[in-house]
Amino acid sequence: MVLRSPEAHGARDEIAAVIAATAALLPTQGPIDVFVAQNILQGFEDRPFDRALIEASHIFDTEPFLPESTYREEMARGRIHRSDLQAVLDADLGSDGSLPLAGGRVTLREVFLALLEHPVHQEDDVAVRWTLTEREPFRGDDGQDLWRACLEAVSLFRTSVIHTLPPARPRDLIIAVDPTLDTDALVHPLLIRFCAAFLDQGVAAWPMPGRDHGLFEAVAGLHAWPGTPTEPWSGRLPAELAQLRGQDPLAVIAGAVDRLGVPPAARDEAVSRTLLALRGWAGMIHQLELRPDRAPVCRVPARLSDFLAVRMVMDRAATQWAATQLGHAGDLAGLWTELRDRYPPRRGPGSVARAFLLCQVARLVGLTAAHIRALDENELVQLERAVHGFDAVTRRRLFHLAYERRQRIITLDALAAHDAASCRPVADRPGVQAVFCMDDRCESFRRHLEEQGPTVETIGAAGFFFVPMYYRGIDDWHATPLCPIVVQPQHTVSEVPEATAVGRQHVRRTLRRAIGHMVGGLAAGSRTMIAGRLLTAIGGAIAAIPLVARVVFPRLTERLAQATVGLGRHRVATRLILERHDDHRHADGTLHGFTIEEMAEMIRRLLEDAGLTSRFARLVVLLGHGSVSLNNPHESAYDCGACGGGKGGANARACALMANDPRVRRLLAGSGLVIPDDTVFLGGMHDTCSNAVVLYDLDRVPESHREETSRFTDAAEQARAADAQERCRRFDSVPLDVTPVEALRRVEGRAADLAQVRPELGHATNAICIVGRRWRTRGLFLDRRAFLVSYDPDHDPDGAILTRSLAAVAPVSAGINLAYTLSRIDPIGYGCGTKLPHNITGLIGVMDGHASDLRTGLPWQTVEIHEPVRMLLVVEAAPELILSAAARMPAVEQLIKNRWVHLASWVAPGGGLLWFDGERFVAYQPESSRIAVVDRSVDWFAGHRGHLPPARTMAALTGVSR
Amino acid sequence: MNPVAIHDLVALLVVAQLAAPAVALAAIGIPSVLGRPLREQTTTRLVGASFAVAFVASLVMFAVLVGRGFKPEIVHLGTWFAVGHHAATIDLVADGLSVPYVCFSTGLCLLVNAFARKYLHREPGFTRFFVLLVLFGLGMNLMVLAGSIDVLFAGWEFIGISSMLLIGFFHERANAVQAAVRAFITYRICDAGILAAGVVIHAAVGSGDFDKLFHGAWPHAVCLVSPSTAAFIALLLVFAALGKSAQVPFSGWLPRAMEGPTPSSAIFYGALSIHAGAYVLLRCEPLLDAAPAVGWVLVLIGGGTALHANIVGRVQTDLKSMLAYGSMMQAGLIFVEIGLGWRVIPLIHVVSHAILRSLQILRSPSALHDRHALAAALGGQPGAGRSAVSLLPHPWQVALYRVALERGYEEMAVMRLVVEPFRWLITRIDAAERAWIDWLGERHRP
Repeated sequence: MVLRSPEAHGARDEIAAVIAATAALLPTQGPIDVFVAQNILQGFEDRPFDRALIEASHIFDTEPFLPESTYREEMARGRIHRSDLQAVLDADLGSDGSLPLAGGRVTLREVFLALLEHPVHQEDDVAVRWTLTEREPFRGDDGQDLWRACLEAVSLFRTSVIHTLPPARPRDLIIAVDPTLDTDALVHPLLIRFCAAFLDQGVAAWPMPGRDHGLFEAVAGLHAWPGTPTEPWSGRLPAELAQLRGQDPLAVIAGAVDRLGVPPAARDEAVSRTLLALRGWAGMIHQLELRPDRAPVCRVPARLSDFLAVRMVMDRAATQWAATQLGHAGDLAGLWTELRDRYPPRRGPGSVARAFLLCQVARLVGLTAAHIRALDENELVQLERAVHGFDAVTRRRLFHLAYERRQRIITLDALAAHDAASCRPVADRPGVQAVFCMDDRCESFRRHLEEQGPTVETIGAAGFFFVPMYYRGIDDWHATPLCPIVVQPQHTVSEVPEATAVGRQHVRRTLRRAIGHMVGGLAAGSRTMIAGRLLTAIGGAIAAIPLVARVVFPRLTERLAQATVGLGRHRVATRLILERHDDHRHADGTLHGFTIEEMAEMIRRLLEDAGLTSRFARLVVLLGHGSVSLNNPHESAYDCGACGGGKGGANARACALMANDPRVRRLLAGSGLVIPDDTVFLGGMHDTCSNAVVLYDLDRVPESHREETSRFTDAAEQARAADAQERCRRFDSVPLDVTPVEALRRVEGRAADLAQVRPELGHATNAICIVGRRWRTRGLFLDRRAFLVSYDPDHDPDGAILTRSLAAVAPVSAGINLAYTLSRIDPIGYGCGTKLPHNITGLIGVMDGHASDLRTGLPWQTVEIHEPVRMLLVVEAAPELILSAAARMPAVEQLIKNRWVHLASWVAPGGGLLWFDGERFVAYQPESSRIAVVDRSVDWFAGHRGHLPPARTMAALTGVSR
Repeated sequence: MNPVAIHDLVALLVVAQLAAPAVALAAIGIPSVLGRPLREQTTTRLVGASFAVAFVASLVMFAVLVGRGFKPEIVHLGTWFAVGHHAATIDLVADGLSVPYVCFSTGLCLLVNAFARKYLHREPGFTRFFVLLVLFGLGMNLMVLAGSIDVLFAGWEFIGISSMLLIGFFHERANAVQAAVRAFITYRICDAGILAAGVVIHAAVGSGDFDKLFHGAWPHAVCLVSPSTAAFIALLLVFAALGKSAQVPFSGWLPRAMEGPTPSSAIFYGALSIHAGAYVLLRCEPLLDAAPAVGWVLVLIGGGTALHANIVGRVQTDLKSMLAYGSMMQAGLIFVEIGLGWRVIPLIHVVSHAILRSLQILRSPSALHDRHALAAALGGQPGAGRSAVSLLPHPWQVALYRVALERGYEEMAVMRLVVEPFRWLITRIDAAERAWIDWLGERHRP
């Protein structure tokens, strides 16, 4: 082929640039077994939030905000106030609001406010005519007169014709001209099959031949065999692919684009749109190109250029076929121009529709027929332009801002009001300190623990407890990274059986392996011919037992399974190999364990960041979290985000062991961080799905601390039941009057239930992130909606701790919040829709049904009750300190400046709140200083399903201060 | 007990099998048609109760039947119409085939109801799903207990329509609707087989009753019509069975049918619907005995399907397609067994395969969980099994892979060889008719 010319090289580079630019817009979700919630519109963070949503909606064909009707319903039930609408409208209009319209009878602001408060019908001529005859909206003499006046008014002039550019991509042009010809419908089934086969991690017994050479080579190789049948559209595809074999994919793309006949001006746009047409699969290929190590089982040489090359060649063949259907013979060069000429022009609204809208607006703002008749042409044009410009997207944007504003006011008012009650703890030494993950789901657990009495204090930190490691438990076949996804751990920690349990573990392992071979053989065998025939006949009836048991008695079956198939896991005493004695590296390049210095450094980081440098209790418990549920491809989405979609129990355990090491403590004491000798650290794990709490290494707790330990165990037992009860109020299928004990049974049952699509609700409803001292929010019911990060401004005069804290906290919590918010705004476009038809493909993702794009984002069942609002980040620090900290981290600064998070500064008690309006901080004036006061959380949430405003729970406050 | 009392008891139990789902269907269907659907809990309780009644009734019936050594009981419910010697009667039969089968099918429906109760919670189509599930249950019981080809056909159609509507459950997605239409067309084409078989049976014995067609207790009944008639009817029934049981060349719809909610995929394409064809063949086994050549046809088709599904199934990369081809292969093997003249073995095969496969489909969202657990138990990822394919020379392997990835070109062949010629023919006929009418119009113009 003639692709060696310099011109072709230019085209190649251009294509490479378009691919790189478009790749930034693809979903960033990797293989589904490690699901980390991230901003779905990460590629748009360089522009303001609301503009980004609107722009993305054009590119991805998604919804920018919730439907207008939803906001109106929220307004009707009092979730959005009239004052919110006025405030956001004023902020949006600025001084333009007072612009006189209709000869000075109304202002722009009045017109817009009327349009926001009252729904108007914007329809085309046909629909308006129907409404006019069937509904008679303008009754009476006045109404009829006004209607006539409006009809006369619009006939005075024409609106300008709307010029829309025809789409750049040939497929979009073709479908606009003939809606029955969709080339994507021809290409996608085949392309999806190729992509799925290429990326498969072991579902298919027979892997794709030649996939080691990349997708394009593999597909071309499959077509090397001549004479295979084809579909009508793909007649010449095999020959073409076979001929292109071995060529540079970028050159193939350039060639295909050339032959598609797209003019140079539209070329980039066409290539970009083509790459986005199957964005789930393209995104996965891109992710595996960036991070091949994230492939769960086997690495594949994924390249986006390969994908686009295959796609372009197929697109070209399909377009050629579609062209013949449209009666266009010959090459495609002329097709684009021909289709452009046939592209149906978009008309503006007809005069009846215009009059109808004008008439509705006139009635809303109190203009009479006489007023309308009195307007000259200029005034009419101005009025109509203003009304038309205030379109549905603009209204929805303002509604959304108002919706967020109300949520913000509720939260900030509560914080301001709570300041009066909260007080620095007086006790020299708390009874026990429990360190939790900052996760919003831990908020309720912490609250219930604190409600047990004044001696319990809780602290929030990133859930990997600053121990980044690869971890391999005794039952794991390989080490998994347990740390934020952006960090690549340098150390591996293994769990080994204690000397006394080695024999028992050996028996377990042998048994497990034997059972594994049997089960694996059964599963694979049931799909083969001869063995399957025998297996299904014999084993099939036996399968009835687990089938019935799992469906009818999930909780019991799970317990039985744990007792039998778990083979007494809990009876094998284990320890962690934490300390490194040599610098020998593993095959994966990691070191085995940490040195004492490294341990001291990690402990210091944890304690300093959390502000826990004095007043140590005799018992400090670290609780990691994770979530185990069945039949849930998105299981990992419920795990700890700070552990990179893993379970944080091992981190807590390792951290506690390190903090207990006297050598570590000596090193820390040397640098001024003194942990009293009688302070004991204990690691544990909290399952956010079944609400189980496990504490590790209890046999290593000294005799002197038995009492504290058992007291904590009791308190945790109470708290987890109360927490289960609070969680259950959100489950429609659980009665509202459920007792704590019954609630625990319910959540345990959900975790083990094959049929349960909502084992837990994950981060749904999250809306707030508070970085500051816990005692300022202690006793405040935050409805499991707040990430709580402990931070002590008194120990951080220069903001160094705040900087490194925000660097982790802001992107993680904002990422979770935006993943939920966007998945809720458009559950199909940004989320992955309902779970019911989901079908795991290649062990890397889910499709809808048997062949669809790879579905990314969160499922509907997870985001159903989420309120899509941006996160409100409240930081207990002076405004200038926050801004200077943010300025040191471009990613965080971008989030704040472009308003992907809302920011408030909560200075010293009594100092009030300051609110960041996008450019500077302004003092926040609370709307109300009233706050509900109850004894315990349960008094506030009992009997309610919906979101609850904050309240003060006295049980957590009594005895703490004064 | 005296025979009359036993007959009455069996009649009561048999009627209960049909009445229970019919009542539930009316109870949840009518309010939903009137725009006031029942609450979720009421809906599932009604459906659950109806299947529970049917299940218990079937178990009692089984006990009675075992006590009587599987002597068949025929329950005559009435006559639809009768003209001279011709009669279309509504007969049900409780015998060694229908009673075990109905025990298992109502039991499975009961279980799927328990599963779907939670799985579909808060789904917009909740009531619709349960209406279709209970309609399917009714159809299944009707087909299984049918004592005449007419009743069997009614049940068969209920199964078909509920299956089609559940594939298209998410009707806002084009893929789901297309898959539903494809399945429906396949069903309708093959339904012609049963309809034609019914006509032939009526013509041959003057009634649709199976006891006029063959005599004796299943599986040792004797055919009462001539071998050539038997062969003809049997061939028509085989044709009918091909569609529902997804046998080559009518298998293309099955993997596409995995568009509905997981529990409906499990019960239809893992368990009950896929075996409906096998059931009809087992029901009419005396015809196959009388016409051994048809048995060989079955062996050929079933074997071909099993081989096709085996090879194609190996390259499927998504759980549900893989399981669909697994089902298809076992259904093919069951056809082979029936063709070989076995009777009890295919029945056992059907039941155990259905249970195993529905468990696998219901569990399919756990694939990652299970895979991790398996890898942990084995201490590494399970390796791919060895297969005969690896013995082929490399280029052949690549070619075979491509054939498998294209699903054996089965759909393409059907489109080219059947659909397109048929469409061509229909358009020609249409054109000819128009021309004829125009010509007539010209002639009669005053």
